[in-house]
Amino acid sequence: MTSTQAISRRVLLPAIGVAMVLAIWEATVVFYKLPAIVLPSPFAVVATLVDLVQTSAFWRDVGVSLYEFVVGYAIGVALGVAVGMLVGERPMFRMAATPVIESLRFIVPFAWIPLTILWFGTSYAGKIALVAYAVFFVMVVSTARAIAQVEPTLSRVGTMLGMGPWRLAWKVHLRAAAPMLASAARAAAAIGWIAVVAAEYIGASAGLGLMITNAATSLTTSVVIAGMIVIGVVGAGVSALIGAASRAWLDYR
Amino acid sequence: MSTNLESLATLARSPHATTGTSRAHEGELVVENVFHRYVFAGRDTEVLHDVSFRIAAGQVACVVGPSGCGKSTLLGLAAGLLRPSAGTVRWDGTPVRLGPNPHLGMAFQQPGLFPWMSVRKNVAIGLRTRGYDRREARRIADEFLDTVGLHDFKDAYPRHLSGGMAQRVGIARALALKPRLLLLDEPFAAVDAFTRLKLQQEFKSLLALSRPTVLFVTHDVPEAIALGDLIVVMSKRPASVQTIIPVAREERDRASPAYARKLAETLACLGVTSDMT
Repeated sequence: MTSTQAISRRVLLPAIGVAMVLAIWEATVVFYKLPAIVLPSPFAVVATLVDLVQTSAFWRDVGVSLYEFVVGYAIGVALGVAVGMLVGERPMFRMAATPVIESLRFIVPFAWIPLTILWFGTSYAGKIALVAYAVFFVMVVSTARAIAQVEPTLSRVGTMLGMGPWRLAWKVHLRAAAPMLASAARAAAAIGWIAVVAAEYIGASAGLGLMITNAATSLTTSVVIAGMIVIGVVGAGVSALIGAASRAWLDYR
Repeated sequence: MSTNLESLATLARSPHATTGTSRAHEGELVVENVFHRYVFAGRDTEVLHDVSFRIAAGQVACVVGPSGCGKSTLLGLAAGLLRPSAGTVRWDGTPVRLGPNPHLGMAFQQPGLFPWMSVRKNVAIGLRTRGYDRREARRIADEFLDTVGLHDFKDAYPRHLSGGMAQRVGIARALALKPRLLLLDEPFAAVDAFTRLKLQQEFKSLLALSRPTVLFVTHDVPEAIALGDLIVVMSKRPASVQTIIPVAREERDRASPAYARKLAETLACLGVTSDMT
């Protein structure tokens, strides 16, 4: 296979996938003669998108959602990895923390939304806390598991080379766990992004979720769908970015 | 500035300088009535049962014995990676404690290279931990990789190496630390027979330069005779020392009748008779 063929496949096949979805969508609208309030045609949604990206309000909403996500994600990953390392490295800490972690991690972030609104109102802080919470538990559990699975010989080698327990944890265990942490970080990003938007649906002063609920109340369905598409595209972009960053970190594989 | 450095250096040396007994026992590894048991698959297993022997400074002791008899456990105890259930292991006259020992170099049965580091960095990292600067660590790493014949693989990553090559990196990593106590767990096991003989030769000349105290676990009796000043023969599990056989210089010459006699003697201790027909 020549490289031009490879490139055309890489562009063409995804394009076919998108085109099929749009075709089914348009066909449904035409076939059932749906009014735009129920389901606007894909062309109308694209036109709305083009209009939207030219307004500053749209970019402010995207910016607010991304800001809430990035800050919450950073806090969640940092705390999650730190606590996960303690759980993985220190049996006493593991015994104390396991019941708390195991019961809290099954309370999905969405169950916390009413409480975060009660505590933080519609401010950014509530969303940030919610993302951090969602990301934290994914990272704690994966980090602890990854550290427990590090090849024991590597620990012995580290000690032999003169590393004390903290240096060993940092330089050997965490680094050996990196591939598993990278895939966990990517999964956590998806969950965190979903949590932000869901929280904004219910109570927010700005953000993509609020933009969509406002549009729904005023029955501008094309804005609702355009907003949903933006959520998907931004989420995929964030995930790809984290994937690329972790690949650079893990180039030895 | 220089006074500060000097006082730091004195501080670093002081634990050994102030221990009265350490001079007389410097470089000596003593295993004293060591018992070791561990719980495996819910069963309490005794691995070592009253093991005692002594290696004088600069001597090479080869440990031979049936597989699973606790030879690797013995190395772990000497390295400070394990704590004996009873008894003591002394290095330099003081009991070995869990944790890093700055005099130690060790090559493991599974080489345990860090997969995220190049071969060169794998060797240099121990030197960096022990305070060498980057350039010096790199220079020493290169030197020892040349010695084990991996000149062309310094920038390769461990996944590119064969089992034998990875083991040679492990040996280079241990030797590069210029250890006073060298522990080796079947270091040449994954190496082909010819390279093995060459590495044994290299190894002997390297030892002659720095004269570390060596505890060497092997399955290969000819190797034990070629490299050891004494051979510690272990019984099967729970292992104790069955015999300690000293090896004289003239017994290492593979063409000599003395070598043949030593080989037969050692094999007989392991339950193998020389009459194989």
